[in-house]
Amino acid sequence: MVFIMPASVIARLKILFWLLLLSTAVQAETFSISSVQVNHIGNGYTLDATIKYPLTPRVIEAIDNGVPIVFLQQFELIKSVPILGNYWQWNETLWASNIRHELRYHALSQQYVLNAMDTNSQRNFPSLNDALQALGKISGLTLPPEYFSHPDNLILQLRSGIDLHALPTPMRPGALISSKWQLTSPWIEAQWD
Amino acid sequence: MGLSLFHRLRSGITPYLLLGLALLFLAYLLSAATQDSSRLNDLFLPIFGLGFAILLLLFGILARNIYKLYRDFKLKKEGARLTLRLVSLFALLILVSTTIVYSFSIHFLHRGITSWFDVKVEQALNDSLELSRTAFGIRMRTLLRQTRMMTGLLSELPNRDLNHNIRELTQLSGAIELSLWTMDGQLITTSLENPALIIPSRPNEAIFRQLEAQEDYIGLDPDNGDLQLRAAVRLPIKKAAQEERFLQVIFPVNEHLSSLGKTVQIAYTDYKELSYLRKPLISVFTLALSLIVLLTLLASIWFAIWIARRIVQPLQELAAGTQAVASGNYNTKLQSASGHDEIGFLVRSFNQMTQRLTQARHATQNSHRQLEQQTNYLTTVLGSLSSGVLTIDNKHLLRTANIASSKILHANLQHSLEETIEDLSKKSPQTRPLTQLIDHQLNQKESWQQQVELQQKKGLQTLMCRGTLLENNAGWVIVFDDVTTLLQAQRNAAWGEVARRLAHEIKNPLTPIQLSADRLQHKYLPLLPADQTHTLTKLTNTIISQVEAMKEMVNDFSDYARSPGLQLQAQAIGQLIREVLALYQSNPKHQFTLLNSVEDITLNIDRTRIRQVLHNLFKNAIEASEEAQLEVDIILSYHRLIVDEQQWLEITFHDHGPGIPEDMVNTLFEPYATNKTKGTGLGLAIVKKIIEEHHGQVWAENTDPTGACIIIRLPLEEPRS
Repeated sequence: MVFIMPASVIARLKILFWLLLLSTAVQAETFSISSVQVNHIGNGYTLDATIKYPLTPRVIEAIDNGVPIVFLQQFELIKSVPILGNYWQWNETLWASNIRHELRYHALSQQYVLNAMDTNSQRNFPSLNDALQALGKISGLTLPPEYFSHPDNLILQLRSGIDLHALPTPMRPGALISSKWQLTSPWIEAQWD
Repeated sequence: MGLSLFHRLRSGITPYLLLGLALLFLAYLLSAATQDSSRLNDLFLPIFGLGFAILLLLFGILARNIYKLYRDFKLKKEGARLTLRLVSLFALLILVSTTIVYSFSIHFLHRGITSWFDVKVEQALNDSLELSRTAFGIRMRTLLRQTRMMTGLLSELPNRDLNHNIRELTQLSGAIELSLWTMDGQLITTSLENPALIIPSRPNEAIFRQLEAQEDYIGLDPDNGDLQLRAAVRLPIKKAAQEERFLQVIFPVNEHLSSLGKTVQIAYTDYKELSYLRKPLISVFTLALSLIVLLTLLASIWFAIWIARRIVQPLQELAAGTQAVASGNYNTKLQSASGHDEIGFLVRSFNQMTQRLTQARHATQNSHRQLEQQTNYLTTVLGSLSSGVLTIDNKHLLRTANIASSKILHANLQHSLEETIEDLSKKSPQTRPLTQLIDHQLNQKESWQQQVELQQKKGLQTLMCRGTLLENNAGWVIVFDDVTTLLQAQRNAAWGEVARRLAHEIKNPLTPIQLSADRLQHKYLPLLPADQTHTLTKLTNTIISQVEAMKEMVNDFSDYARSPGLQLQAQAIGQLIREVLALYQSNPKHQFTLLNSVEDITLNIDRTRIRQVLHNLFKNAIEASEEAQLEVDIILSYHRLIVDEQQWLEITFHDHGPGIPEDMVNTLFEPYATNKTKGTGLGLAIVKKIIEEHHGQVWAENTDPTGACIIIRLPLEEPRS
């Protein structure tokens, strides 16, 4: 069976398409990585990075209401082998790591508690901005040295976002489909010194 | 290829298989999620996703079913209307009940979740939090003062004594940790109560900012579940060019207070989180409920369609079967007679009915065939009968008539079937006496027998009729025979006997009478006076001539009575007619015309006797015309003729005489049936006798405007038996 769409339907579809484009344009500002730097210190390599976390009012509201938010910082070390010059490369992920921080509001002390979930170390901040600034400042993160014996063609990339699957169950469906929760930054390649 | 795959997926049982698998998987996920609530978090999205997928699949299946139903309805397929009605009813029932349950559930869900939250509880929690804060505030103010005193002390001390004094101060104040920092964030010295720790807790940027603004800091710090108090106070600058420093002291919180504070904190946070999650929770529950309700609804409607189809299918087959039976196909047998419900009973009854119908039809066909055979037999018997047989029903309609009846009556009775006998008499007027007789006798209730005479073209026909009443007054059977020939034969035999006796008794005394008269004349004529001789001569001559005439008459009688065997021989009839005609052509006043046949017809006849027939006819025609003082003008013809599938030779004598009087037409060929002055009145009787001896027919007709026609028919072959 062949469907032939009438012109009016095509016109409507076009409008819908433009509306979709527009909706992505008004999407909330995502997290952004302003600088990533790999430093060669002695025999090892460390990473410094600054990430901005502009939260949407929806997220701030959740935090203020005691909902713990888990922030994800994802690192990937990729070995890129050029096969056709710059046009096509063979990328192999050598190492990938996630650093998870839980941010929650402590009502009694009126402090924002930032908890590094891997190390279980906790820092307290009187304001959300301080907490976010501290979260966004990565300095001297040690990179696994075994991959850096031949640092040529290595790419280290970083992105950060909110782990929506760590949200309380009732919030998850709404968060997964809402643009106000889709704040993950794009992958940013690190600069090598 | 993709399109064909799509077609394959959306047709046949594939959607149902997919649906079944998806439902099984969903059931598995649900059981897994309910058995272990921690897995619900992980399975939440797959369950919802699968639920939506099943919903879509169900929707597709339902749409396909509804479309099929609609198409069947449009095409007016058997049972489509009933199915649609049933499905509509089911769907309405399901919709109404589900909507009621759904709206009540939603209502109770809202009410239930909202009832978890209470303004008073919320206020109490807020207040307890505030109370805790106040309680901690009092403690904090004390500790701040204590810390300020410590900074006053420490500011007086030279750098080298700081380490020692700080340790002492730690022990004295009961603090966990004392540390002295520069405003740049450099640690000068520290004293830690916990021997496991080496580095003191670094104050965060906010504390630095507050100190820089010349404000002391005191705050409650949550520390991995425990609570502690942190105070930071700048050291007063005693000397110029002295580095700006501050003291950070971390105090433990009384265990009881800490535990109370933690309880309040946890309860408040949980309540607040729960309160915040109220809306999403309601949404999720509503979504789950809606999903389940929709699944149930669609599945129920689908099931309703399936049920309706299942119910209607045997009815549909029944309808088709009934139609088939109505159109005459009695062998219809329905297959789905397995059910033990009323429909199964109906189907079985239908099958029994068609079986009985088939048996009944076979029986009817058999009896019909037997009846047909009997009718055929009867028709054959009736057809072979020489008697005419008619049946007339009680409405006076002619029902049957055999072939012989049409032949006897010279009327096609097969065209008059189903008509009244009056119509028959109108169609064939010659049958009127018979129809009048039948009509008259039909009102009687007894069998009857009567003779009737019909005026046929060839003369008077005598029929012997018998009427028999059928059983139950259902009509009459009329049997009749043509007895004309029989009567004629009887009459001829009687006349023959009379003629023979007359000839014998009269002829003997005639010769002595004639001889005696002759002698009387010879003996007494000379004796008589001259005036009387004339009288004697006249008288004796009269006697002699009259005796002579009587002799002739007696000879004629003798001829009529005598019936020697026929001397048959082949004779060309045209030649014979011309020979006889030649004898009469001598008189110039007489005119004869012979219409020659295309061929001379030869047949076996007794030449002498047929010659006599021709003489008699010529004589009769000439005498009739002369007596009427008309011109003798006779037209003769002979030709071949086929009547009733038999070949005949027809000879016609057409004169232009006065014609035959009406009252004589039927008796013309009887002896002494004459109106002429001359002759014995036996001429035509002899003609008829000879023709009948030749198995022929003779009759007379008046022609228009004048004259009569004698018609003779002689069979050209042996008469059929």
